[in-house]
Amino acid sequence: MGPLIPNDIISHEWNFIIAILIGIAFGYILEASGFSSSRKLAGVFYGYDFVVLKVFFTAALVAIIGILYMDYLGYLDFNLLYIHPTYLWGAIIGGIIMGLGFVSGGFCPGTSLCGVAIGKIDAWVFVGGIYIGIFSFSELYTLFEPLYNGSFDGNVTLMDTFGVSPYWFVFGFTILAIVSFYIADLVRKRVKKVFYN
Amino acid sequence: MINKKLAKVLSFRYKVLALVFIALAGGLVLLPKYEKHEGISAENLLSNVISSERYISADELAHKIINQDPSFLLIDVRDEESFGVYSLPNAINIPLEKLFDENSESYLNQDEYDVILYSNDNFYADQAWLLCTRLDYKNLRVLKGGINTWFNTVINPLKPSENEAATAFELYTFRKAASMYFGVSYPEQVKIIKSETVVPKKVVTVKKKKKAPVEGGC
Repeated sequence: MGPLIPNDIISHEWNFIIAILIGIAFGYILEASGFSSSRKLAGVFYGYDFVVLKVFFTAALVAIIGILYMDYLGYLDFNLLYIHPTYLWGAIIGGIIMGLGFVSGGFCPGTSLCGVAIGKIDAWVFVGGIYIGIFSFSELYTLFEPLYNGSFDGNVTLMDTFGVSPYWFVFGFTILAIVSFYIADLVRKRVKKVFYN
Repeated sequence: MINKKLAKVLSFRYKVLALVFIALAGGLVLLPKYEKHEGISAENLLSNVISSERYISADELAHKIINQDPSFLLIDVRDEESFGVYSLPNAINIPLEKLFDENSESYLNQDEYDVILYSNDNFYADQAWLLCTRLDYKNLRVLKGGINTWFNTVINPLKPSENEAATAFELYTFRKAASMYFGVSYPEQVKIIKSETVVPKKVVTVKKKKKAPVEGGC
């Protein structure tokens, strides 16, 4: 039966409307959980707050476990889902740049927009930086093009790459998540507490 | 005042959640695996197979063609060579081995036309019918007896013997008229100047199912 849009159960025109609704809910929850504070994200790097790590890791786990159960029960066709294409070196270098941006700015693109919405000046500066980045990337596209389109591996998943059963992979991923949460808690207890709002 | 008992229970909440996660992920590993069944269920397939609705007789088909019924699509599942030698007017050739090619799918998997499959007899057409029906393609029918029956009834009808029922004669008259439509001439009609019956070429437009790329991102 699912996914609903590729199977034409909901028409394609609804795509953006649903995306906007989910986006509003996402932004609301980010802001309500305090993710619009740059200190929250920076806390992951300085070791005083691991909520971001826990939230996103848990979200990924809930999603993948839910998808696999629904696929198993026949409500969702796993093979019809969108898998983001892999451009290996582009992803590695882009990831490093994004990570630097995270730790120095204290925002991810999503939370920075939440910060903009509630009028945080650092978020305004951060989003300004994003636009400068987008502009310079577009202007220098010919220079970055080989990196941007190079080392293309197709729409692969880790399960395809390592050839493991998705179920065992998710089980291992769950264990990894719980261990990392535990370690994160240990680290947080050792690091000096930082109070902010 | 914080309820102390509740606080004590809630202090385990992360451990409980961790256990729930492990149980759910472990459940995925332990679930019995099965081969995914593609297409419709076996019960539905069986009920489709035993239904006589899936056949169309040569006479019905002749009637449709002569009346220029626009609602059906003829698909010849024989190989290209046989298709080149003889086929029905306006038929599309989709050999059995090319049944699931990208181009064939737009003809078979649609719900605008009735699709009539045929081969020399029922054999290959039935195979094609079964394969496609299993994938839940709609409006598929098989020409009963295929080209052979078509030839023996419509093109070269057998004259009924004198002591047969009137309906047999009516049928014979219809078949004879039909055969004339398809270009057969009879000795008693030689006087008449044979008019070329040009079967208008039916233009078949099949809408390709749109497959918009699914996009995603953070």
